[in-house]
Amino acid sequence: MWPHEQRDRHHKGVSSSSSSSRCSPSSSVLPQTPKRRTMEELWKDISLNASPPPPLDYHRLQADSSLHSPSMVLQDFLAGPLNQPLYQPQAAAKELLPPPLQTALSLNSGLEFQFLGEADQANTQSNSSSNNINGNVANGSFTSYDFSVGPPSPAALFSFCSRKRSTTESHPGAADRHQKRMIKNRESAARSRARKQAYTTELESEISHLQEENAKLKKQNELLMRSQVAVPKSSLRRSSTAPF
Amino acid sequence: MSRDPLVVGNVIGDILDPFVKSATLRVLYNNKEVTNGSELKPSAVVNEPRVEIQGRGTRTLYTLVMVDPDAPSPSNPTKREHLHWLVTDIPETANASCGNEIVSYESPRPTAGIHRLVFVLFRQSVRQTIYAPGWRQNFNTRDFAALYNLDDPVAAIYFNCQRENGCGGRRYL
Repeated sequence: MWPHEQRDRHHKGVSSSSSSSRCSPSSSVLPQTPKRRTMEELWKDISLNASPPPPLDYHRLQADSSLHSPSMVLQDFLAGPLNQPLYQPQAAAKELLPPPLQTALSLNSGLEFQFLGEADQANTQSNSSSNNINGNVANGSFTSYDFSVGPPSPAALFSFCSRKRSTTESHPGAADRHQKRMIKNRESAARSRARKQAYTTELESEISHLQEENAKLKKQNELLMRSQVAVPKSSLRRSSTAPF
Repeated sequence: MSRDPLVVGNVIGDILDPFVKSATLRVLYNNKEVTNGSELKPSAVVNEPRVEIQGRGTRTLYTLVMVDPDAPSPSNPTKREHLHWLVTDIPETANASCGNEIVSYESPRPTAGIHRLVFVLFRQSVRQTIYAPGWRQNFNTRDFAALYNLDDPVAAIYFNCQRENGCGGRRYL
């Protein structure tokens, strides 16, 4: 999938005129230079999103992690300057948030032919099929083929809403909410760490206990074996029967 | 330096005061022994467990309390502690079923978060009558022990439990 895009973008970037034989006419409407610039940012965004794995708890492993990682990114960003965002600096995050929406449209035009078959399916999934496919590339929050995920739309709406909120953060209650959420998250993280540590220490103590017991039993066993050998074996002997 | 899992898991602190362990408590669900701090599914703890006590070998009687300190959710434990089971007059080297079930076993069914389920064992000095509380929630083990002169606990064990399909620790805001 991605080599296709790269070739498309390379074509568009090189040729000054937007007419490209592979692309549909809708792509010619959009200007060239902004596309080139945002493409790099887009690739940066992709690589940044791809490399660090989200810090999931063990109990969240079966949850749909593909949905949560971008929401966590946004929440980290929304949490304010106190929180250290894990994925990207906040300035870059601010920049990146609007451009993927623009490039979403441009990408769709390029990929339209390739994904025509799948796009029909994606169309039924949500109204903005272009965003669906390009979300895969742009912000990773949608997977166009992942129909098994239960409520993608609420989560999608949530991430969209929080995106809007991020641009207008002057609301006074937002900071408090973020603080509270951050504190709650910290507590939850501390509980999780305590849980993990408690289990680990328990296992360690059990291990040492079992090792001691094992050593003791082995010694006992050895002693018993030795004492057995020392005593002469009582073999069967005839006593009252005749040997014929 | 390894610490006691009960301390690390905050059982000692939230529910109990530090104590010296003077008996062995084994809790078996479906013939599998519960490891301190392990995680069990609600489906595995539907029925009451078998409880084995090994103490001083004398004719002492024990009281067993099972509570959930994280009700309704660990981040908001307004109903701490939720009483799941209360059995008294358990003779040593016998099952809890030989004792007096004051409050019947209630299967843990956590809805939000990951809950700790704690078993606390007290040694009774005499055979005494213990009355069931009016309701299960907001039980207080410390007060209970003080009320019935039960001294410090002699053993405790706990496990974690969350919703059957997981996701107990994660909410959509």
